[in-house]
Amino acid sequence: MTGPRALIAELTHRCPLRCAYCSNPLRLERNELGTASWTRVFGEAAALGAVHAHLTGGEPLARADLAALVRGAREAQLYVNLITSGIGLSERRMEELVAAGLDHIQLSFQDVDEGAADEIAGARVHARKLAAAEIVRRYPVAFTVNIVVHRRNLDRLDRMIRLAEELGASRLEAAHVQYYGWALENRPALMPTRAQVERSLALLAREQERRKGRMRIDYVVPDYYARYPKACAGGWGRSIMVIDPAGRALPCHAAGVIPGLEFDNVEQRPLEWIWEKSPAFRRFRGEDWMREPCRSCDRRAIDFGGCRCQAFLLTGCAENADPVCSLSPAHSLVQAIVEATNSGEPALGWVYRSQP
Amino acid sequence: MSPQAIPRLAPGCRLSEDPRRPGLLLIPEGELRLLGPGPEILRRVDGRRTLAAIVEDLRAAYPQADPARMERETAAFLERLWERGLLRVE
Repeated sequence: MTGPRALIAELTHRCPLRCAYCSNPLRLERNELGTASWTRVFGEAAALGAVHAHLTGGEPLARADLAALVRGAREAQLYVNLITSGIGLSERRMEELVAAGLDHIQLSFQDVDEGAADEIAGARVHARKLAAAEIVRRYPVAFTVNIVVHRRNLDRLDRMIRLAEELGASRLEAAHVQYYGWALENRPALMPTRAQVERSLALLAREQERRKGRMRIDYVVPDYYARYPKACAGGWGRSIMVIDPAGRALPCHAAGVIPGLEFDNVEQRPLEWIWEKSPAFRRFRGEDWMREPCRSCDRRAIDFGGCRCQAFLLTGCAENADPVCSLSPAHSLVQAIVEATNSGEPALGWVYRSQP
Repeated sequence: MSPQAIPRLAPGCRLSEDPRRPGLLLIPEGELRLLGPGPEILRRVDGRRTLAAIVEDLRAAYPQADPARMERETAAFLERLWERGLLRVE
């Protein structure tokens, strides 16, 4: 069996931001693994075949031992990527992180306009992020600007591309909100219209061509408007492993919503056992769990039936085809959501994520 | 790429030092498995040596290889990395 290609380390759920689309679970985790446990997990992941460590949160900078964790991952021979809001990034901390072996930093922005950015983040952070970018650009690491896009900001995609360029990023990742956790609660306010999505795709094709060789633009499209589902997490138990702050190992960051799954903890079990033998990782691996139309579908080895969490959240059963798929018998559920989104005004308010 | 060009890997790109994964070029959000002379070429790309010096060094290390072909293939390999944004050239 091949091991995971990437380890996604949710170092903490603490975060100074309260984004309405936060991908952390609704029930946030308060316990956190210590430095030594994380360092051991990085070594086990590399031995299992992982090449990349994505250090994420919450806000990883909330951990005072972040530089030691970067060093631990790097010494385990992993490529170290830090996914951060930039809040808490000083010149001194950046120096420490780079000296510890940081390879890549992904700095999030919420929008191009301070008012709109701070409103969706639920905190006054935009100006501090701009200051963080000025620090990051002076260091020899790969620099990606991340922006989550949705109904409120998608029409400013052209200015987002210019912002990333002005900040000196070598890559922009503009990712549509995916509707899990907090984002699912707030879908009526966040889901874009079809016209918005189509305009953004046309703009993107032009901008990607113009910036070839200077700045790469990756765009994660909204799956409610797609014909076929995304190959979620590259297939269940196939290419990634998420470790939550308390040390539970998950096949994807949202997997906790599926009832009946128990997640083994890296404090109790070796990573190799969890990957190969734990019931949670085996639950939807391969094709044995599939029902029709997935079981006999030509695309089953391409998208693996889509996302198990989305199938559960929208149809109540995780074994069903992801209902965003046009072949799903439950696709009318998604069509109804699309219809409602395109025929009325968005909801005005949203709930902010809370603190662990 | 001219013989006097000085190539270096872009920030965030490096050859893996993991003996379990020889010839793996690590890049943001991915990796490239280098075949043939790729790893030997990149080990000499240090931001100081010119393309000419890199080829010269490869010739000394592999005296049995066809020198003209080695020069062509080294330049072509580095140009492919440059086109993907993985290499900077001074």
